[in-house]
Amino acid sequence: MKILEIKNLYKSFGKTGVLHGVNFSMEEGEVVSIIGASGSGKTTLLRCINFLERADSGQVLLDGQVLFDAENQGRLTGKELRKKQLNFGLVFQDFNLFPQYNVLDNVMLAPRLLAKERPDFKANRKAIFSEIEETARGLLNRVGLGDKLTNYPCELSGGQKQRVSIARALALKPRILFFDEPTSALDPELTGEILKVIRKLAEEHITMVIVTHEIDFASNVSDKVIFMADGIVVEEGPPSQVIDHPQNERTRSFLQKLNEK
Amino acid sequence: MFIQVTLSLLEGFSMTLKIFLLTLALALPLGLIISFGSMTRLTPVRWLVRTFIWIIRGTPLMLQLIVIYYGPGLVAAWAATKGGNPIFNMIASWTVPERFAAVIIAFVINYACYFSEIYRGGIEAIPRGQYEAGQVLGMTRIQIFFRVVLLQVVKHIVPPMSNEIITLVKDTSLARIIMVYEIIWNAQKFIKSDGLLWPLFYTGVYYLLFCGILTLLFRYIEKRLDYFR
Repeated sequence: MKILEIKNLYKSFGKTGVLHGVNFSMEEGEVVSIIGASGSGKTTLLRCINFLERADSGQVLLDGQVLFDAENQGRLTGKELRKKQLNFGLVFQDFNLFPQYNVLDNVMLAPRLLAKERPDFKANRKAIFSEIEETARGLLNRVGLGDKLTNYPCELSGGQKQRVSIARALALKPRILFFDEPTSALDPELTGEILKVIRKLAEEHITMVIVTHEIDFASNVSDKVIFMADGIVVEEGPPSQVIDHPQNERTRSFLQKLNEK
Repeated sequence: MFIQVTLSLLEGFSMTLKIFLLTLALALPLGLIISFGSMTRLTPVRWLVRTFIWIIRGTPLMLQLIVIYYGPGLVAAWAATKGGNPIFNMIASWTVPERFAAVIIAFVINYACYFSEIYRGGIEAIPRGQYEAGQVLGMTRIQIFFRVVLLQVVKHIVPPMSNEIITLVKDTSLARIIMVYEIIWNAQKFIKSDGLLWPLFYTGVYYLLFCGILTLLFRYIEKRLDYFR
């Protein structure tokens, strides 16, 4: 069964239409890259799926169940919305770490707050918290920051910050992890460390959707590449097709322009 | 004489301190509430609150003190001449408020409005990404405000807040306009009773010492919040 299905998503800001009926789907364990020029709607698409924007019409299905339907969103309570949101994780372009918490606390904050809603929290507080800490330490080790646990975000490089934010998103065990141009805010020499982490996650079969401008990376990490332009999916398929042998004229000219740079 | 003046000024300064502390304790939370009002999406409420802030910040505190102290009595006297109507009768029963209460009301309203603008600046300086990060991590709006935003706001507002609070220390001297016996009033008494001018200058030492302590306190708070950016 498809883990994620996007059906006919429309979104406009005032009079500016951004998404004009986006459709795509993916399987569990797949890595999907979304490429396209700036303004093609990639980021808006991620934001709609992650409940940061509300699509004007269309549906988002998770495991075949409707997770979001533009028709009846008004009735959602904050609690229901949060529960739905937690199916997904999102890594932002500019990290958005919490500056007043150290690396470890950045990763532990949300899981700890969520644990307080568990019915057995009072009885097992200590055990729950130490489990959360163990998970957080493990994740930070996995992204290579095991020695930075007590550092604050302002003491880290951009690449390190982004790795913390990946660990922070993973700490909530999302079904699907989304990346919104994870390397765009980084100096070129730092993009490698992020791409390496994402590649490692792909090897662990974590389901991911990556909006990126790194075409070579998209090409060798993804199972599927989606090319977007003007708010619709123009072409999709395995990278060997979309990137190496694009069928659509617009895909071709986009990739060509990138190559010229 | 020196000791007598020192003690009298100390007594006056205790009133100064009382006005200062009570105003601070009430205006800090009230200012936060007003700042939410000035940022709300409910347009009529926002305009009402912003107009109120404009009036309070646009008129002298001394005038506000006079209005709050003498206003109710004057309106009551006017209403008494009308008579008959139950609303006028109710208004006619208003009396002149307690002096100290009038001072506190005027100071709290005035300072809450200034504080609210500082809070607003601090809250609006927090990037939207902080809220969004909290949101995608499944945090509630209240958790985002208290766990993520608040400390960052505090860090932003310590410098302008300390400025405003130090101004408050000295503004308390306006209370003497409606005969609340704070330190300047006590010093002026010596002009009339003993023909002494120096006690008035001497009050400056009290203000300087107290503001010095506050400055050190704020510097300490700033240092404590220095660990993040």
